[in-house]
Amino acid sequence: MSVYINSTGIHLPGEAIDNDGIESILGLVHGKPSRLKKKILASNGIKTRHYALDAHQNTTINNTDMAALAATDCLNNSAIAATKVGMLSCATSQGDLVLPGFASMVQAQLGLSNIEISSSHGICSSGMMALKNAYTNVALNEHDAALVVASELPSRLFKSTRYEAVDTSKPDFNAEFLRWMLSDGAGAFLLENKSRKNSFRIDWIKSFSHADIHPVCMSIGMPTNTADTRTWQDFPTYATAEAAGALMIRQDVRLLDNVVKFGVSGFLTLLERGLVNINEIDHVLCHFSSKYFKSRIFELLEDAGASIDESKWYSNLYTRGNTGCASFFIMLDEFARTQSYKAGDQIMCMVPESGRFNNAYMMLTVV
Amino acid sequence: MDQASVNAVPISSSDDKLSSKVLTEQGQSCLRMLLRVWFEFERSLSKVPIVQRLEQNRLSIEDYQKLLLNMRQQVIEGSRWITQAASSFDRDFSDVRSEVIGHAYDEHRDYEMLERDYVASGGKLEDIQQAQRNLGSEALHGFMMYRSAQPNPIDMIGAMWIIEGLGNKMASQWADIIATLADDGDSITSFMRYHGENDEAHMAELYELIDRVCQSDEQQSAIERTAKVVGKLYLLQLEEIDNV
Repeated sequence: MSVYINSTGIHLPGEAIDNDGIESILGLVHGKPSRLKKKILASNGIKTRHYALDAHQNTTINNTDMAALAATDCLNNSAIAATKVGMLSCATSQGDLVLPGFASMVQAQLGLSNIEISSSHGICSSGMMALKNAYTNVALNEHDAALVVASELPSRLFKSTRYEAVDTSKPDFNAEFLRWMLSDGAGAFLLENKSRKNSFRIDWIKSFSHADIHPVCMSIGMPTNTADTRTWQDFPTYATAEAAGALMIRQDVRLLDNVVKFGVSGFLTLLERGLVNINEIDHVLCHFSSKYFKSRIFELLEDAGASIDESKWYSNLYTRGNTGCASFFIMLDEFARTQSYKAGDQIMCMVPESGRFNNAYMMLTVV
Repeated sequence: MDQASVNAVPISSSDDKLSSKVLTEQGQSCLRMLLRVWFEFERSLSKVPIVQRLEQNRLSIEDYQKLLLNMRQQVIEGSRWITQAASSFDRDFSDVRSEVIGHAYDEHRDYEMLERDYVASGGKLEDIQQAQRNLGSEALHGFMMYRSAQPNPIDMIGAMWIIEGLGNKMASQWADIIATLADDGDSITSFMRYHGENDEAHMAELYELIDRVCQSDEQQSAIERTAKVVGKLYLLQLEEIDNV
């Protein structure tokens, strides 16, 4: 049974915020402009992004509501009624509530009755996990239609007050890094077992995780002091966990280059298995987190004799920001609306995740 | 962004496009295979306890001494299998033989640098000179001597790929981490750094050889097999460091 992405939808909260406007939303830590901001922004190349926060760092729309708006947008672009959706598969790195699962909250907001739900947890690749779960369910005839929604609201972690609450005098590069990388947004796909006009057929979805190789690269829950092996809930109170830096989102930048290597390694594996033929790829949609990593991926593919012409690569990272697991959904949505493609075109999709190194790949064919 | 850690694959960081040195379809296929084998090897490498300690900044100076002491026995024998390989190439491969001889010449006294690093890090020269090969080094050396004695051993490019790749990794990643173990970090890491600089040029030579030595699927699978065996035995050599 073939499975098709028959419509897409997104929600990007508020106005687009340019680089000069970031600290007027997220706030100045201890009243001072960041010293790292410029360097990190120059490296990632992002020019504008969206935040679900106002200038007083109040949440303007929560994660569940963003997900529901993207899902509604997707259904409004589709040929079917919401009542025909049999499954809701959702992804986020952090819901509004710790419990229950994100899909329960999104389902309630959408008012969908009596459906199967699934919540995928992780970071960037969790969107692909949610997508694969829906894809296999439709492929197995469990459902005729499934809605997949990926939504992220990381800006709440980047408020100046979060940094001020940590008991330290030393600047923590790894904790600040992501402040200039991530932003908010949601995207949704409708999957069906038959094609309609403007459909993308899912040929396959594969992923390779390398969590067994290296320590954690991107995380929330570990204190600043790496010798302290406690995780956030092991502290006597949440206040002491926060003071110890255990509620900060952190990236171990020294390990980051492994994402590129694992990403290219997985791609070479797909070539070897005959799932990809470089000459047949018409478009590449890759969730790279920054301009810097895009050039690294290019170099490595080139050195491996597996390069794909740059004109085939599409990304809206620089204008929509890095919205984690929602990024790929927001990318395909804009690709579908703004780029030219024709029936038979192959779209190679790649979503690498640095969390503990998981790389997801998908091949779409335009039908 | 930490730029220092980015070049730990057996490729050049220069602007020269190494893959442009490989032109045939068979050569390109071989190159992709070699890179795949490298990535698999590199992942296994990161799971070897002493490499884990190194990469996670938990290496002690004693660990480093053990690493040098155990590597030296293989490095000093390295020139033997390379020169043997050179003499196993017949007249039809005289161009390859020239390349291999050049390579052997470049590296046949690398071990002296390694010994100086060992002494600079606080070890005794007689200890490193008298140490036995560990079990992994024994197996690796045995395999290299056996393969390099075969007629026209083109599969040795697979062995060189792994070993040169490692040299590159040592220079671009490991040396900086190890340098923090001593006040004068450069004095204890000259082997890794020099070896890596040299390997950059060697890597380019290897790329150039791929089209020449890999012209059939059989040759490619022989190269793959040797690269994988050498990778496995190298891992064994490093694993054995904690057992001697």
